[in-house]
Order: sequence, then structure tokens, then C-alpha cells
Amino acid sequence: MRAPLRHERRDLSYVAISRIDELRRLDILDREISIGACVTHAEVARSLGALPECRALAQAAANSANPAVRNVATIGGNLCASAFAAADLVPALLCLDAELEIEGAKGSERMTVKRFLEVRTDIEPDRLVRRVIVPRTTRRSVHIRLPLRKAGDYPVAIVSLAATLNPAGVVESARVAVGSVEPVARRWEQLETNLVGQSLDPRRATEQAERFCADFLGREGVEAPGWYRVKVLPSLVRRAVLALQEQS
Amino acid sequence: MSLRLVINGEDRVSRAEPLTPLVDVLRDEFHLTGAKVACREGFCGACTVHLDGQPVVSCLVPLGTVEGREVRTVELLATAGELSPLQRIMEEHDVVQCGMCFPGILMVLTSFFQEHPRAERDEIKAALVGNICRCTGYEHLVDAAVALAKRS
Repeated sequence: MRAPLRHERRDLSYVAISRIDELRRLDILDREISIGACVTHAEVARSLGALPECRALAQAAANSANPAVRNVATIGGNLCASAFAAADLVPALLCLDAELEIEGAKGSERMTVKRFLEVRTDIEPDRLVRRVIVPRTTRRSVHIRLPLRKAGDYPVAIVSLAATLNPAGVVESARVAVGSVEPVARRWEQLETNLVGQSLDPRRATEQAERFCADFLGREGVEAPGWYRVKVLPSLVRRAVLALQEQS
Repeated sequence: MSLRLVINGEDRVSRAEPLTPLVDVLRDEFHLTGAKVACREGFCGACTVHLDGQPVVSCLVPLGTVEGREVRTVELLATAGELSPLQRIMEEHDVVQCGMCFPGILMVLTSFFQEHPRAERDEIKAALVGNICRCTGYEHLVDAAVALAKRS
């Protein structure tokens, strides 16, 4: 729809799927949450806001773009927009170990979000993301984004963090996902490994993030240079750990 | 091809192509020029209308997805010539400048106040992040919105 504005040709065809009721369903089940591809950001934020283990996803949905966009932008669209590096829901879903169900003439297939991001530009047009499945566990999670304006802007960098703590406060498992820094969001496995087995400590986490952040190659953009996106990562990690401590 | 939709409570039939942005249908076919076309990217909020009661950026809504749904535009706010409380307070505070962003701001605030009638200043500002005012009249209109919230 924006092609004429950019002096580009429109795609030959456009298939609207927003009236398929099943794709608009969001079901909170005992062991998982099932979110249809056409569920909007506003609906994700409304439905999941009260679930502590999904806070990263609810925060991502509640703060992305602006209210009138959140009422039309969908979770499936956010995942499938391969040219959009600053998608908020993608790192949140990565840190929550979410999976996708993809439907096609030859049957359905389930894959992790990580795998989907690797193959999404090669997926044939006869297949459709049907739903997103988020497992329910005892983890806590948080989504920290840095827009250049306070809100209503694309984030320069995103850190989504999910962790499970034992009763003594020691991290049993950790997932860190970084968005908007590189062209495609990804997990920060080196940092995850170093968070496990320790208690949550913002200072130590920041130091570790500083040590490992050379692992990222920031993308250049009109709103921020690549080096800046990487430079802010340790601060975002600190904010994420602090926010997670407040939740625990 | 023709497509039925409800605009401001009236049944309408559009003959535009299904991929036509809703804002163009409203303005060019039905002459409802309150919603403005500015960025066409979902950034500026000037084209905001209500779709089934929720504010949406009508530049990014293809007509084909609106079939049978209810569209409300800024023209509906003043029913029978009577300004809505929001419009009235904006007039009292002399908020309007060039008027380009203003219909979108009214539509966003109208639905926002339905859900949060006693909103605080920061909440009002957060609700308006998707509405860009090139005259930079933000503080003045937030003042007016805060005054309305205090009245309720």
C-alpha cells in the first residue's frame, strides 16, 4: 500500500486474511498461550498484561509504535516483515522460547522463532503463519527498548530478558534476545551462559555485557549509527536486570 | 467491484479498489475531508479514524478489510451541531493552530477518554505519541485535555 509513495510497483496480488476468525484468537491454556497470526499488538497487550511470565511480550506489544498502529499491526505481520529490523515482538518471543505453526497445502509445520527467522525469506508464498505458541513456565521476563523519543518511535536497540530463579535467587535459566541492533533479532547466548548459576546482579550483568558486546555488528540507519546501537546494549542489559529484580 | 461499509452510521457502498487506503476512500469518494493525508506511513496520526470503536491510522487500512465494519470520522463528533465535550474544551483553550493534525488528535483522545476519563498528564501524553503536530502546539492541547480529565 505504501509502494506508490516510494515510487515502487505494487505487488501483483494481495490476499487479506484478517477476516479468518481462527487467526484472530488468543487462548491462554494451562501450559501454553496460543496467539493467532492476526491478533493485534493492542490485543496481545490487553490479554497478557496480567501474566508475569509473559511480561516481555505484553510490554513489547504495549509500547511498540503508537496506539493507532497497535490497533492494526499484528503479531504475524511483525514476525513476517523480514525487512523490518526494529520489530518489538520478535526479541520478546525469542526470549520466551516461542514457536510458530505454519500451515500449507502439504500440512502444518511447527518451528522455533529462531529457526523461522533463519528461513523466513525463503518460505514459499503458499504457506501461512497460523499461530504463535508461547510455553508457560515460572520464568519472569522483561522487554527493554530504547527509542530516541520517549515513545512513538522505533527503538534503536532492544533487550528482552527472561529468567528462572531458584528460591535463593540464583538464575537457573536465562534467555537474552537482542533486537534492532543487527538486521535480524537474535539470542545473546554468551551472555545467557554467564548469567546462569549466579544471582541477578545488575552491575555484574552490565560488565559481562560490555565484555561480550563486540559480538554484535550494529546496522547503520538514519536514526542511529551502528556503533551506537551496540554501545547502548550494556545499559539496556542493566535496566533489564533491574526491572527483573523488581518483579521477583 | 463494490464494497459495503458503515461510515458515521450510514450504509455506504464504495467502488474503489480493495487495496485503496481507507483515508483516500473517505476523502475522495465520500468527501469526508476531516481525516488528513500527510505521511501515509502510520507515523503522523493525521488520518486517524475509529474502526469498530478503536482508533486506527486509516492510511494503512486497505478498503478491502473494512467490509461490513463501522468507520467513524471526526465529522461525527459534533452530533446535531453540538460540539463534543472534548471539542468544546479545545475551543475554550484556543488550541487549534493550522488544523492538520487536529482531527487525528481528537479521534485518539475521544477513544482514550472513554477508557481513561480521569487520566493524568503523562498518560495523556503517552496516548498522543502517534500524533505529530508540526506547529508544535503540544503543551497547549495537553493542558486542555488535562482540564477535561479534571472535570470528570
